[in-house]
Amino acid sequence: MKILCFDTTAKTATAAVVTEGKILAESSVTIGLTHSQTLMPLTDGMLKAAGITLSDIDLVAVSHGPGSFTGLRIGIGTVKGICQGSGKKCIGISTLEALAYGYEGQDVWICPVMDARCNQVYTALFEGRNSLTGGINRLWNDIAMTIDELGNNLGQPEIPVILTGDGAELVYKALAEKIPSLRLAAPGLRLQRASNVGFAALEHLKTEEPVSPDLIMPQYLRLPQAERELLAKQQATAK
Amino acid sequence: MEYISHSPGETERFAAAFASLLQPGDVVAFLGGLGAGKTAFVRGMASAMAPDAEVSSPTFALVNEYDGKVPLWHFDMYRITSVEDVYSTGFFDYLEMGGVLAVEWSENITPALPEETVFVQIDRLSDNERKITVTGKEADRFEDLVL
Repeated sequence: MKILCFDTTAKTATAAVVTEGKILAESSVTIGLTHSQTLMPLTDGMLKAAGITLSDIDLVAVSHGPGSFTGLRIGIGTVKGICQGSGKKCIGISTLEALAYGYEGQDVWICPVMDARCNQVYTALFEGRNSLTGGINRLWNDIAMTIDELGNNLGQPEIPVILTGDGAELVYKALAEKIPSLRLAAPGLRLQRASNVGFAALEHLKTEEPVSPDLIMPQYLRLPQAERELLAKQQATAK
Repeated sequence: MEYISHSPGETERFAAAFASLLQPGDVVAFLGGLGAGKTAFVRGMASAMAPDAEVSSPTFALVNEYDGKVPLWHFDMYRITSVEDVYSTGFFDYLEMGGVLAVEWSENITPALPEETVFVQIDRLSDNERKITVTGKEADRFEDLVL
């Protein structure tokens, strides 16, 4: 099965074609948020270079969030367009889960963190190895929380916890002293890669059916309550 | 720094000179109530950055884009009440896009503003006179501003 995959949820725009256990083609740019201009030429160039046409593709996979508001809409919009035009089905994958797939098979915990601004991160927690089903094992649902809350929720695990994602350095600086088992992913492994969206999709397809493009939606995560209330209060005093 | 403007036209000229000192990625946050002259100030900024643009308050659109060599994005946060709202204006995305952001009613989004934000407070002294005060970590850059 050949899957065309996309991730535009943060500063990187990335596209790939993967099949079971193999990346056939992958292309990424991280030059700021201009995904609406870069994603199509990038994908077109990658497919041409690899000699793959859209008719070779069985399914389209996309990171459906959490992530940048504009980025999510560009990625989902692109996939809806491709699937509607070609009659293909698609599957949405958590951005955080795709990031964690970079460490599939490792005896570690993986904590992907995306900078949600205002000292908050989108995060989740995974075990690198799921001995029962293969793939990785999800320990937490995707959630938005403050960096302090993340520190408290992680506790003091003995197993190494790898921080990856665009918030990894921020969180590492804030929590490394408090949590000695934290490890910072190398820069080359921290950014979104569409191939990992594809590998996560291959695992999901063992138990899930792909959907028609009208059913795929951005998964915005709600930010912590306290922060929302804070702003509401400021609004009241400002008026 | 402080500047006393004696007319909307003078405010615009001050704002144009102010804008010439801005760099891509700068956030200019306005403090000051209705009728203080925030939109006149942005009109002055746009006259230097995007001379062809028609400036109006983006109260309903939330953000207006004025295309220039460095793009100018004009936000009005009057109706914004939460970080969720800020997120869904795309504000955080615009911060990464290499333009200048001018933010009216920035009081409503204080926790979402970057550390290097340049604050412009406009106080009404009389019908035509305004006191313009520039503050923030980067305010020194505007110390020698001359019209």
